[in-house]
Amino acid sequence: MPHSDRIARSPDGASLEALLAQVALGSRPAFESLYQQTANKLFGVCLRVLSERAEAEDALQEVFATVWSKAGQFDAARGTAGTWLAMIARNKAIDRLRERPDPGKLAPIETAGEVEDSDPSPQQHALAGDARRRLESCLQRLDARRRALIHAAFFDGSTYEQLATRTGSPLGSIKSWIRRGLIQLRACLEQ
Amino acid sequence: MSTNDPRPHDDELEPPGDDVLAGEYVLGVLDATQRREVRRRLESDPEFARRVADWEWLLGPLTAGIAPVAAPAHVWPRIRARLGWPPEGHVEEHAGWWQSVGLWRWAAGLAAAVAVAAIALNIVSHPLSTQLPPVARVVTVIAHDDGSPGWLATIDTSRGTLQTMPIPSAPDTQGRVPELWLIPPGRAPLPLGLLSTGRSLLITVPAALRRDLTTAAVLAVSLEPPGGAPNGVPTGPIIAKGMVRL
Repeated sequence: MPHSDRIARSPDGASLEALLAQVALGSRPAFESLYQQTANKLFGVCLRVLSERAEAEDALQEVFATVWSKAGQFDAARGTAGTWLAMIARNKAIDRLRERPDPGKLAPIETAGEVEDSDPSPQQHALAGDARRRLESCLQRLDARRRALIHAAFFDGSTYEQLATRTGSPLGSIKSWIRRGLIQLRACLEQ
Repeated sequence: MSTNDPRPHDDELEPPGDDVLAGEYVLGVLDATQRREVRRRLESDPEFARRVADWEWLLGPLTAGIAPVAAPAHVWPRIRARLGWPPEGHVEEHAGWWQSVGLWRWAAGLAAAVAVAAIALNIVSHPLSTQLPPVARVVTVIAHDDGSPGWLATIDTSRGTLQTMPIPSAPDTQGRVPELWLIPPGRAPLPLGLLSTGRSLLITVPAALRRDLTTAAVLAVSLEPPGGAPNGVPTGPIIAKGMVRL
């Protein structure tokens, strides 16, 4: 059985993928190891979207409750466990953000010319795997406006309406830019 | 790459196709109402769910750029509580706790048994079933020593797969996990993989073992350390077994 020796001998040294496989089988020690290895990253993801610590903590609880029940759905053939977990965290955080009565204020976005990247730690790009490098290279092929909008939507969880306010552009244009940006991104990644 | 926008505003007038809608959902630009609609659809439309999953894998690597932030220490105990686990350092033999879990598992077991019956009788409609003759699959019962079923298995020899359904039970108090073995007549057990006590699992039988998957063989379950028997030989007690039925 693949991985079995590794997990049996050293639970904390097991890969996230192997831990998820154990969690899918109901292993509590594996779940605790998974939490220890990923909670800080996933808290960072929740906090990036929600900004408020108390809300990010609640979101993090929801994330791990979901991971406990859905670990069996992770498909290692498609990507890394880290990406899968981070997307669950982002999704839960955005759901929570949408339930806020007051969406709060977000910084304006400059879509003309060179824009500041919303991605908070560009130095980590160097550490990223192939999937990340391919995605970055395809994002770089988008024009600056589409790229800035997609980054702002992804990292801030802004709606179309919020993006229109933040950029001062008509809602129709924002939708058009993002939809075309998504289509272009997919075409580039599928090449 | 050129980025001409000959008609930048017309997209708003027509609803986007499913693929773009899935991308918008994953990107996070939909409002609360639209997100709820998408979530409802995800539960009933597997094709749409597949599109959403595709976009998650496509955009997911962007999360690599998000810096970790130390999660407060009180979050872990809250997660344990939320999952209905006893507080850490607490002995787990608690009547109230087991009762509620037991009730849940009983309901899940009933659902699993119904699902097995549906698969066995080919009631579940499946695109393939229109091309294949209706075949009732035989169920192998892997039973405990007292005769109560522990797991049910349906074996597909053409694909070399084994669909296992647990009759849910409490996890082993020592943290051991169930592992499935194929025992051909007069030979040592061959490992088939770990089983779940609460979930259905599809096990792919290694090609080298498929010819041993005959009605003369026995399927057995032993309790093993997390991760499975380290050397491919059972180390724990056999808790259930049954003759292979095809």
